[in-house]
Amino acid sequence: MLEHYVTAFSTILLPQNLLAMLMGGLWGIIAGALPGISTSMAVVLSIPFTFGMSPITGFTMLVSVYCGGITGGSITAVLFGIPGEPSAVCTVIEGYSLAKQGHAAHALWVFILASAIGGIFSVFVMMAATPVIANFAMRFGPPEYFALTLLGLSVVSGLSGGSVLKGLISCLFGIFLATIGTDGITGVERFTFGTTILLGGISFVTAMVGLLAVSEVLIEAEQPFQEYKGSARYRGLKEEMPRLSEYKENWLTLTKSSVIGTIVGALPGAGATIASFLAYGEAARSSKHPERFGNGAIDGLMATESANNASTGGSMTTLLALGIPGSNTTAMLIAAFMVHGLQPGPLLLTQRPDIVYGIFVAMLLTNIFLVALSVIGVRMFLQLNRLPYSVFSAAIMILCAIGAFGLNNSVDDLYVMFGFGLIGYYMRKFGFPIAPAVLGLVLGNLAELSLRRSLLLSLGNPLILVTRPLSAIMLFFAAVSLIYPLIKQPKALKDVEM
Amino acid sequence: MKRDEIIVNLVIIAFFIFMLINSLKLHEIRRFGEMGSGFWPILILSTATLLSIILLVSTLIKYLNEKKKASVEASISKEALVDLKSRRRKFALSVILLLIYVIIMPWIGFVLSTLIYVLAFILALEERRKYVLIISPVLVTALIVIIFAKFIVIPFPRGVGIFAAFSRLIY
Repeated sequence: MLEHYVTAFSTILLPQNLLAMLMGGLWGIIAGALPGISTSMAVVLSIPFTFGMSPITGFTMLVSVYCGGITGGSITAVLFGIPGEPSAVCTVIEGYSLAKQGHAAHALWVFILASAIGGIFSVFVMMAATPVIANFAMRFGPPEYFALTLLGLSVVSGLSGGSVLKGLISCLFGIFLATIGTDGITGVERFTFGTTILLGGISFVTAMVGLLAVSEVLIEAEQPFQEYKGSARYRGLKEEMPRLSEYKENWLTLTKSSVIGTIVGALPGAGATIASFLAYGEAARSSKHPERFGNGAIDGLMATESANNASTGGSMTTLLALGIPGSNTTAMLIAAFMVHGLQPGPLLLTQRPDIVYGIFVAMLLTNIFLVALSVIGVRMFLQLNRLPYSVFSAAIMILCAIGAFGLNNSVDDLYVMFGFGLIGYYMRKFGFPIAPAVLGLVLGNLAELSLRRSLLLSLGNPLILVTRPLSAIMLFFAAVSLIYPLIKQPKALKDVEM
Repeated sequence: MKRDEIIVNLVIIAFFIFMLINSLKLHEIRRFGEMGSGFWPILILSTATLLSIILLVSTLIKYLNEKKKASVEASISKEALVDLKSRRRKFALSVILLLIYVIIMPWIGFVLSTLIYVLAFILALEERRKYVLIISPVLVTALIVIIFAKFIVIPFPRGVGIFAAFSRLIY
């Protein structure tokens, strides 16, 4: 194992990879900080940049965008009170209160360092857990895989904010999209309606670009014209350095939140938003000064920030070890793996250890890098909000077109992107969450294939899914994750769309 | 808004039923003892149809309840109506411009279509500052061409005839 780490470190330290990390981190923070661009959208928009790169350089860039996006979302949350990301909602509550009291710089420091602690903690967990889980998953048969995908899909449908019914319909729509094209087992064309465009199925990247990015630009385009998105003043980053005693006092909160973040991140379907809500809730429950919550509680800010960054390592563990995306953004990364001809899952660790260990090291270094980037760049990121927003929207649209076109160099894909852009727009307008559809599209094929293989194994007896203990347990949790939100849904989650 | 929701629900149900009917044809295609190509789509689409019907019914109930409560229908204020019209216009313009961009790209090439699209789109977003209108389309197009056409070498459409000749001057 050691030789893999040595190789990975020496590869990631190559100038082109460090440059990719720098560019990815910068773009991630910028995208996260701008309210119109989510982390998953930033990752999707970065995929075309990786077309010409080697897989390891490409992934170094993509994981930097991912980690940077989560961090960047909190900058606007602290300074403007606008969550750049849904996962930064609790950061707004505490961080913005601190900013209003004139301690914006202090809040920035606290969140930047807490983010790094959460992020680095989760990377170490990822390094330790991925090989173990991947090894364990080697024993998974088709029924276990079917149950696992179902678990991921039901968690994301149940917890993606708004109505569970709409979440489920959105998810089923995504799974349906995955059935379009030639059936891998019988070779029959499904739902192609005689066109050649759909013969190979719907490309993940094209559909995601449309559903996530184009629809978001269309929604933003409707808003009344704004010269800029906002502006804030703060001073004294040097004067408000956090004291070590603050960290000593809150070490338990930081550790607990990082653990919560990593575990929630690793659950298929649950991402940074749920992680930050749970950690924030736990910090409020166990705090010595619960009365400070809502008025700039340092421990609350630490909890939410360390948890949402810790979710990145957790999500990546599930992605690399099982091939199941732990969150919306890691679903985009699955698409990137496929673009580079790789299949994430237990076999990746043995077939391409350079990629897996490379990603470990890249994420570790990115988290350290991000502290420096955030501190140096904070002033610059604030200026970015003064760039004309209309031009941003236009540039994002062009990037979407390049992402859709560049995959197969085909203009047909641009029409597919356009269609999905419209579908995504109406889904958002009528409260259908996008995340379940995207996850359904990504996992639909795996779910179908594993179900069909399971039934082949059992000669058509569906009981095979519940008589094997592991698959039965996962199916049980899948059912719970759908029923639980119907009975009791965290109030804050109802208003958040992921 | 509720009325729009009901219409959307009906469209969704129609879509799922249409696809369900199509998937029934696939059910025949299978080897002995195997789950055919149609089984999974039928399972997914019938569940989706059922859930959409439940959603429609619950929306209808909410709609009727609200109608009962609000006997005097709240009229939309003049400002809200103007705002709604402006939103719809901007959305329609954005969609049409994107479609035109996709249609004309193979004919006039990536560079020209992008240049025109950026200018048209920011105008549609009500950008009126002259320096932004002049500088940004050129800047955005130049940056994109340098990164994606020169550096990453994506073979963007060059257009036909004179447009192709123009595109070749650039990439």
